[in-house]
Amino acid sequence: MEAQFLQIVQMLQGFFGPVWPLVYTLLKIVGIILPLLLCVAYLTLAERKVIGAMQVRLGPNVVGPWGLLQPIADGLKLVFKEIIVPTQASKGIYFVGPALAFATALAAWAVVPFSEGWVLANVDAGVLYILAITSVGIYSIIIAGWASNSKYPFFAAMRSASQMVSYEIAMGFALVCVLMVSASLNLSDIVHVQGKGRFVDMGLGFLSWNWLPLLPMFLVFLISGIAETNRAPFDVVEGESEIVAGHMVEYSGMAFALFFLGEYSAMILVSVMTTIFFLGGWLSPVGFLPDSFVWLAAKTSFVLFLFLWFRATFPRYRYDQIMRLGWKIFVPLCMFWVLVVGIWMMSPLNIWK
Amino acid sequence: MIMLENYFPVLVFVLVGIVFGCAPIVLGWLVGPRRPYAEKNSAYECGFEAFEDARMKFDVRYYLIAIIFILFDLEIAFLFPWASIFKEIVSSESMKMFGFIEMLVFLGILLLGFIFAWAKGALDWE
Amino acid sequence: MDLKTAIFYFLATILVLASVRVITARNPVHAVLFLVLAFFTASGLWLLLQAEFLAISLVMVYVGAVMVLFLFVVMMLDINIARLRQGFWTYLPLGAAIGLLMLAEMALVLGGRYFWLEAMPEPAAPAAGYSNTKELGRLLFTDYVYPFELASVILLVAIIAAVMLTRRIRADKIHQNPREQIAVQRNDRIRIISMPSEKE
Repeated sequence: MEAQFLQIVQMLQGFFGPVWPLVYTLLKIVGIILPLLLCVAYLTLAERKVIGAMQVRLGPNVVGPWGLLQPIADGLKLVFKEIIVPTQASKGIYFVGPALAFATALAAWAVVPFSEGWVLANVDAGVLYILAITSVGIYSIIIAGWASNSKYPFFAAMRSASQMVSYEIAMGFALVCVLMVSASLNLSDIVHVQGKGRFVDMGLGFLSWNWLPLLPMFLVFLISGIAETNRAPFDVVEGESEIVAGHMVEYSGMAFALFFLGEYSAMILVSVMTTIFFLGGWLSPVGFLPDSFVWLAAKTSFVLFLFLWFRATFPRYRYDQIMRLGWKIFVPLCMFWVLVVGIWMMSPLNIWK
Repeated sequence: MIMLENYFPVLVFVLVGIVFGCAPIVLGWLVGPRRPYAEKNSAYECGFEAFEDARMKFDVRYYLIAIIFILFDLEIAFLFPWASIFKEIVSSESMKMFGFIEMLVFLGILLLGFIFAWAKGALDWE
Repeated sequence: MDLKTAIFYFLATILVLASVRVITARNPVHAVLFLVLAFFTASGLWLLLQAEFLAISLVMVYVGAVMVLFLFVVMMLDINIARLRQGFWTYLPLGAAIGLLMLAEMALVLGGRYFWLEAMPEPAAPAAGYSNTKELGRLLFTDYVYPFELASVILLVAIIAAVMLTRRIRADKIHQNPREQIAVQRNDRIRIISMPSEKE
């Protein structure tokens, strides 16, 4: 099997010659993006099914067996819809918004490690790269709000920009704690550090992951992640009762679909990040099972389920409460916890040798 | 050079991401119908004509949040290198206290600013 | 031409074009967006110089934070192009002087060899396991401790200035206190009393 694979690779290498590294990289990228798109499609279905079940409804069940073809039908419908460009909109920039929303949500995946050695770009500053790319994502909303030249999108853009910016601080601080204990900005190294410790030797790997010693930061990161992706209960950006669909009001057809895809791939990204930083990535929770990609997928699905669960459970926050939570609770808590971790690591009780 | 090779896929990925961002719009433009009329292309409002330009002035608070964000973002940018060598700092006897206290001073000074902003109501939202 | 040079020219072309558009774009929002593009490509150039941490910080701080503020400001201003034009000739001498000064500085830097500046040796190739961020951390927290602490003081001054400049005193402030709202207990809001049932 392996030999055959190598043979095929060599054959292709001979065929493409000097451009082979580029072609190989492109192949790998497609290998990441296509499954990701599939996940996004079925996440939308899962969301409707899960929330349906929580509200004692059936959810989509007509298109295909158990509604499994529903996302494909939705996608096809959106393709054949007219893309409306409002008269008063700034024509050129109008399309930059949705394109950027999806492009940034995809670009961050370049550095995500899926399993031991399964990483497209094993860069040294992976954490920084992810933070930088997510901060660029704010532009898609600001641009969409401004270019639409309509009141609802504009208000949504202002709200959203301030909200995302506030929670980025909390996220950054939570990551500082993770960096302190793992001494590396490389995502694979962060996972490796979580696979060491007393509990791992006892065969109870899941107790040595970062979520336990950094529990407050884990919660801060998870909640900030939800706020960062503008998901319920922090979805004032598109609070139907207040500002209709927020920055997406004027968009239709595929332009709208791009925002949608961007939002869901960002959700999956945040879940994978939570898994890598706090839940041990692809590490197996118990000693007698091998580490594998399956664990990463399972943990990510669990975090995604939390996203859906929160949406079904909590009522929408008020905007002043959101800002208060971000600035007046998370920021002081994070600063305090940086101090706690610092003192902990200086003391003889240090568990991250 | 080791590092640059790692970043080459990132560059390609960013370019592919941009292509994937633009492709659906082009597709929708080609496949979808185009039957515009004045009503359809007008801005979304509650059923009447828009009163004024949508690009209005807004509360100064949003600027303030943006400014404070810049400062804290910089702070985090400073914290990252420190956090990534903290293990080294802890393991060396001579640097241990010094490395910790200098960051304590840094955070302490910024905490003053944070408390000031808080006390002045810059973080309130009424 | 190897790949690295090709990428350099690719990024540099975008950077130059974007920078030109920053000063020629009529619409200030477009100008800011081109500036964002310029920062982005500049960070790519820094990466080529192997300044990994700085390159990504450039995106995080400048693109992610500073330019958001710029956009906020520019998007909301009623910029009257005609009025801006009026000031053109009065500010021209000052602008030209600053432009010339910058040109001279650039010439000094780029032609450093001809102005008694010793050429810097090529930096040694990094060893395996070299981390740009960690190296920066080591330097920053040993040799450059005072500039580092000074940076925090500057940030403090900036916070105070920002708060004071945008502070508005409003007498009619309607204020909600979320802390009180969250701390509300059931007994504060409802009172259960037992009442005997009455007959008409």
